[in-house]
Amino acid sequence: MNVSIVPGLRALRPAALVGGTLFLGLLVGYWANATWYPGTSPEQPIEFSHRIHAGENEIPCMYCHTQARRSISAGVPSVSKCVGCHKEIATERPQIRKLMSYWQNEEPIPWIKVHDLPDFVHFTHKRHVSAYARAAGIECQTCHGPVETMDRIRVTSRAIDGSFQLDTPWEMGLCLNCHRQHQVEHGTDCWTCHK
Amino acid sequence: MPNIERRDFLKLVGAGSVGVGAGFYLRESIKHPMEHLIPHVVAPEDFSTGIDTWYNTVCSMCAAGCGISVRTREGRVKKIEGNPSHPVSQGRLCALGQAGPQVLYNPDRLTGPLMQTGERGSGAFAQITWDEGLSKVADRLDLLRAAERGNRVCLLSQGVRGHLAQLFERFVDQLGSERLLHYDFDHPHTLYAANQRFFGEQRLPYYDLKNTRYLLSFGADYLGSWISPVHHSLGFGHSRQGRPDVRGRFVQIEPRMSLSGAAADEWIAARPGTEGLLALAVAHHILSKGYYQGADRADWIAVLAGYTTTEVAAQTGVPAETIVRLADAFAQTQPSLAIGGGSAGNHSNGVDTLVAVNALNYLVGNLGKAGGLVFNPEPAGPTTHPHQASYRTMLEFVEDARRGNIEVLIVNGTNPVFTLPSAAGFAEALAEIPLIVSLSSFLDETTALADVILPSHTYLESWGDDFPEPGVGFPVGAVSQPVASPLYDTRATGDIILGLAQRLDMNDVLPWSSMEDCIKDGWRQIHERGGGDVRTESFESFWRAVLTAGVWGEETHRESTFTLDKSVIAGIGVQAPEFSGASDDYPFILHPYLSTTLHDGRAANLPWLQELPDPMTSVVYGSWVEMNPVTAKGLGLTEGDLVDIESPHGRIRAPVYVYPAIMPDVIAMPIGQGHAEYGRYARNRGVNPIEILSPQMEPQTGSLASSATRVKITATGRRAELVKTGGNSRDLGRNIVQTTGAGQHSANLNSIPITVIPS
Repeated sequence: MNVSIVPGLRALRPAALVGGTLFLGLLVGYWANATWYPGTSPEQPIEFSHRIHAGENEIPCMYCHTQARRSISAGVPSVSKCVGCHKEIATERPQIRKLMSYWQNEEPIPWIKVHDLPDFVHFTHKRHVSAYARAAGIECQTCHGPVETMDRIRVTSRAIDGSFQLDTPWEMGLCLNCHRQHQVEHGTDCWTCHK
Repeated sequence: MPNIERRDFLKLVGAGSVGVGAGFYLRESIKHPMEHLIPHVVAPEDFSTGIDTWYNTVCSMCAAGCGISVRTREGRVKKIEGNPSHPVSQGRLCALGQAGPQVLYNPDRLTGPLMQTGERGSGAFAQITWDEGLSKVADRLDLLRAAERGNRVCLLSQGVRGHLAQLFERFVDQLGSERLLHYDFDHPHTLYAANQRFFGEQRLPYYDLKNTRYLLSFGADYLGSWISPVHHSLGFGHSRQGRPDVRGRFVQIEPRMSLSGAAADEWIAARPGTEGLLALAVAHHILSKGYYQGADRADWIAVLAGYTTTEVAAQTGVPAETIVRLADAFAQTQPSLAIGGGSAGNHSNGVDTLVAVNALNYLVGNLGKAGGLVFNPEPAGPTTHPHQASYRTMLEFVEDARRGNIEVLIVNGTNPVFTLPSAAGFAEALAEIPLIVSLSSFLDETTALADVILPSHTYLESWGDDFPEPGVGFPVGAVSQPVASPLYDTRATGDIILGLAQRLDMNDVLPWSSMEDCIKDGWRQIHERGGGDVRTESFESFWRAVLTAGVWGEETHRESTFTLDKSVIAGIGVQAPEFSGASDDYPFILHPYLSTTLHDGRAANLPWLQELPDPMTSVVYGSWVEMNPVTAKGLGLTEGDLVDIESPHGRIRAPVYVYPAIMPDVIAMPIGQGHAEYGRYARNRGVNPIEILSPQMEPQTGSLASSATRVKITATGRRAELVKTGGNSRDLGRNIVQTTGAGQHSANLNSIPITVIPS
């Protein structure tokens, strides 16, 4: 005796069509978000351009990120630091006016963090911008990407061949590649970073 | 292309749209959460993000006055260590001091001024503003002062030193009151009195444990809780291991082995209260053997005639041979040092006992020299002792309050409801006082009964200064600076007093706008007086140097030529101790001791210290009764059996801890637990042995003879598991502690192959 499941499937066809379309839509939605809204270059409260400051005007990184050479965190410049220059420079631009309104209200600028490491990674800037690291050719750009070309900061990593990979967050491989390449003492010990 | 119905088309479009939306939000929801980088508006000068900033200040957890260095990050306190430049702590710190951040960040801190709205003790408080609180108190004070009834105001504080003490004095004086009381349960009244009598000095000498070769300690738990434990521990370490060819010997005489007893070379249990007799027997032997050849030798022989080693041996329970051995070693090992305090001073004969200990130092020539007892010079600033209230003074206060003679009580930091025996009736007397103001940072038992609470900063948030007592043989002062901005709407104690003073127009005597001003002004005088290791022309640079170093000192040793007044010799003698309660009804002597971690209970609200095992028993959280195994066996008790401990003045219940190093007729209990208030970590945990102490006093000082209460033990038949980290104290055949005889040891040494460590 033959029992056909075809009539049953036929009855389910409309539901399957709807389900399939729903799933396809899900994929499209996900892809669209990942492609057009990657979140790797968030809009900042002030349209600050690293291209103008670090690129065109060649202001050294550590002129503003003063803590990098002596602290674990590179530090964001205080509002007063920005105002120090912009009291005189480009005072009429709308973004600078915005800056001055923060300054006059004595409010900090709520910058959005772009580059981030998980809390279980112990990273210190001090060590990586030391004279020794510089001699080994480690620049800020080595990890942070070509910041001086970016108007808005964007998550950037590096492939194993050294090319920049935009919108790719840092992973352990980035650290290890470099530590291996420079033969860092204890550079591949777990406890060097995970302590 | 199949025909598709309109309905189906709409269905598919709908499903597709919902899918796209859901997909979009799915990814949105799993993105890394947005974090902000908030910069400073103006970069602070005193710290950098991500970098530690260390501030030197003063520890206020006990009365020792150690210097501390506080590690802060981004303006927040992270860790406390000892200040290496401070001569008292020299870079070290005890557990109590280390727990300081938990005072600052304690979740039970009072966050702003409060007013009692219900019955006292109901816990119903309403928030008020500082202005309301200060005005309410100031108005009442103003009325009393105007009616010339200022003496009905009492300021009852914990022992404070430095310019805050001076501020208190002036404030109370301006009110027209004489009632400025400092009350601390552990203040060594008898030690001060004994030194006053023997040396004629109103301050403690410096006990040079560091350079001594032989230490006789009569009841002073100098490593655990006596006067300045961190400094004593440093001295102990140096005496034992700091000198290449000398190892100091330490003998501890006490009825229950304390931390110091455990660290000593020899622990001798004399009957409670007979330590002074033992000291005099040692003195007797020193004289009879001719170790002492001073001009007043005959006087000493006459006064000590009744204290022969054999007679005293019978009274103390210490064999005569032991006394002779101690006396020979004490006199022949130079420099040696005898110290006394703790339980030995807390008996009805406390002062006489400690005078006898001083006599030992005199007879073998330990006075004024390194490794002995060094006299301290005049402290550079105000000290605490002059206003310290003894038990008798507190009883007088209670009596006055009962009669309605106290109308305003301002309490600062001290907690007498907890640290006075219930026999004193302090809590009941508070009911007769119309206005009680508390300046405490926490809702302790006394503060819970207050009408107005004006909470103080913790010591890590306030300005202050300190002149350690006992000093270290030369003048030392230290400034306490705020290491963090205030967390809550609290004010420094000094600023509260100054706030009241301003409302009461006391500007001519208390001209300062803030405590910082007051401290600076005081230190300006120290600068003008000159001296010390910081020498600068301008006050500002002096002030900066003192703040940076955290301490100021003047390392000069004064000439110490000590001549003993003959009348002192005639007054030497120790009576047998008196105990409260008949020995038939109450067969045991209660030996309450200060907890190494919780001190007198002030640290019971700090979870780090609650969970820190007691060094001798390894018990955490809770109370216990220490009992000799023989006693426990006689009563049919084992560890964890709940017993009632009953004195003529009360009863408490605690589990038994079988402790081999205690005399059979003595039971010991740690002080510190048993709070009814004082926050979530302290409340309803253990019992407070102070509660049941009998009001037995040392007659000369009026201080509480806290080791002179007799108790009885009744088994309840119930059990409570003791929470402790230690396992069994016996080896039980597990061969954990391997031993070897001396002969065996040298034989083994000869057969050990010599291995050379490659360089």
